[in-house]
Amino acid sequence: MPTRQRAPRPSTGRARTTKPGPQPQRQPSTDDPRIMLDRQVGALYEPIPPYPTRTEREGEFYTLGDGEMFLNVGPHHPATHGVLRLVLKLSGEQVVDVDPVLGYLHRGVEKICENSDYYHVIDQVDPLEYVSSLFQEWPAVLSFEKLMDVQVPRRAEYIRVLSGELLRVSSHILYLGFYALDLGGLTPILYSFIERDEIVEMLAALTGARMLFNYFRIGGVNGDLNHEFMSRLGDWMTRAAKEAESQATLLNENEIFVRRTRGVGILDRATALRYGVTGGNLRASGVPFDVRRAHPYSVYPELDFNIPTRDEGDSLARYLIRIDEIRESIKIIDQCLHNMPDGPVMASLPRLIRPRPGRAWGAVEGPRGMLGVYAISDGSDQPFRFRIHDPSFLNLETMPALLPGSLLADTMTIIASLDPVMGGIDK
Amino acid sequence: MDRNLKARLEARLGGYLRGPIYQRHDETEIRIEPGSIPDVLRILHDVVDLRFEILADIAGVDTGEVMQVVYHLWSPMTTDWLRIVADGISRDDPRAPSATFLWIGAEWLEREAYDMYGIIFEGNRDLRRIFMPPDYTSFPLRKDFLLPDDAARSPGAGVRHVERTHVPADLADDPAAGIRRAPAS
Repeated sequence: MPTRQRAPRPSTGRARTTKPGPQPQRQPSTDDPRIMLDRQVGALYEPIPPYPTRTEREGEFYTLGDGEMFLNVGPHHPATHGVLRLVLKLSGEQVVDVDPVLGYLHRGVEKICENSDYYHVIDQVDPLEYVSSLFQEWPAVLSFEKLMDVQVPRRAEYIRVLSGELLRVSSHILYLGFYALDLGGLTPILYSFIERDEIVEMLAALTGARMLFNYFRIGGVNGDLNHEFMSRLGDWMTRAAKEAESQATLLNENEIFVRRTRGVGILDRATALRYGVTGGNLRASGVPFDVRRAHPYSVYPELDFNIPTRDEGDSLARYLIRIDEIRESIKIIDQCLHNMPDGPVMASLPRLIRPRPGRAWGAVEGPRGMLGVYAISDGSDQPFRFRIHDPSFLNLETMPALLPGSLLADTMTIIASLDPVMGGIDK
Repeated sequence: MDRNLKARLEARLGGYLRGPIYQRHDETEIRIEPGSIPDVLRILHDVVDLRFEILADIAGVDTGEVMQVVYHLWSPMTTDWLRIVADGISRDDPRAPSATFLWIGAEWLEREAYDMYGIIFEGNRDLRRIFMPPDYTSFPLRKDFLLPDDAARSPGAGVRHVERTHVPADLADDPAAGIRRAPAS
């Protein structure tokens, strides 16, 4: 049994005075809810859990070595992209180890989906990937379409790709802005939001909502392209590439940004594969795995685009990959507009869906990596099992591999470069 | 559907397979015993003409009678997703070997399956709850864990669910239905 030392509590800003001699013990009244709340909250954020360690890894982590201390980051911290709590083990200013604590945003969406019918599932999964929620609807409808053997009209597939790629651009642009913000640069986020707002307003004209679209349907999409969307899109496309370049220049040529990210948090190829990392984070480590090409779905085989990869695997490479992907996405949007076929946007389906018993796995490439859904049907109108796989979950899991050895200030760089969305991680 | 993959899997994993290989759309599904998970994953990962190097997902499944652990793998050697269903895990004492020896990323996926189903992955160094609080005692995604406001399955389909939530807070546990309202002391 390893000896456990209690770390000093993080300073609360008040000077603590210890008076000599016996002090009168003031019993807090249990009637006062404020006092009880204070005690509960205090226990909640205690860096060392108030129970014996249960696993090998936990015992190892919560044993302090010589000169080490714990630092609690989050759950409410501007740089943790949601409610992520990190318990950092520090030696001086250097991170020795990290224990991410999840679950502050857990809503039990899988259970909710298993208790709602197939159409309702789509709007239940929307708030998971709240930055790019179409990509969370996509694997759900993909797996349901496989369960039901539905043939999606080609126009609907093109509209899905078009709206998805727009959202990928918006998500990546937002990533660039928040990345810089986490490193202390305020300017890029302002430009990011200008770009993103244009895309989001465009999608609002198409889908009716700005963030939680609820647009994809089993067998197609909710509505056809309309005039407002097309005119906004045409307007944006004339300068999208240029805007993206000028945005990237803000950071690419910023010496502080480059020096704070180059060589920080290096994820090598083998480790990335062992951790199951996907998306831009994996491609920044030199693995050209992109579900759009590795396991094509929808109309991606017909489209011409590249899978950018980089070999460095550091935070800068993860940022540069996103820049390259914005360019590729704009290329795809252009092709979608040129090749958009005519026809219906929905397959004809019954009002109440009861797929035959079976199992299906649908996976798509989102801005953060592979999103998957494993759906089991038992023949009723509700999925028997609805498993949601989120890429941010596994991307975040690499933190105990990336952080040790880096400085405390680089923690924020590394979290921001991984681009986690806590809504998807905590489900 | 990759017929060639089916032949290769049968050649390499013949002894481990329980039941026929099932193929539909772009998926190939094999069924194995939970005890042979490490061997099967090792073969799938290492053998040159299989090379399933990307672990896409690990999901726990409660069928009502047994537990399953379901793996999804991707390989550059095939156009199919591979699904491995480790079937027949007892619901009373669900145990399965861990996949962390091959993919360290399986650690959190298995923690999630443990958190939601109570499946104990032997060999996982960090098998504790990941989403639910540490003092939580139940496993919410099990089929016998019923939601108190399970509106969709109620006769009124959402209309009368409010009535069903008006149960006294200190109502005793109902072990027959698998409902435990108070944490174990």
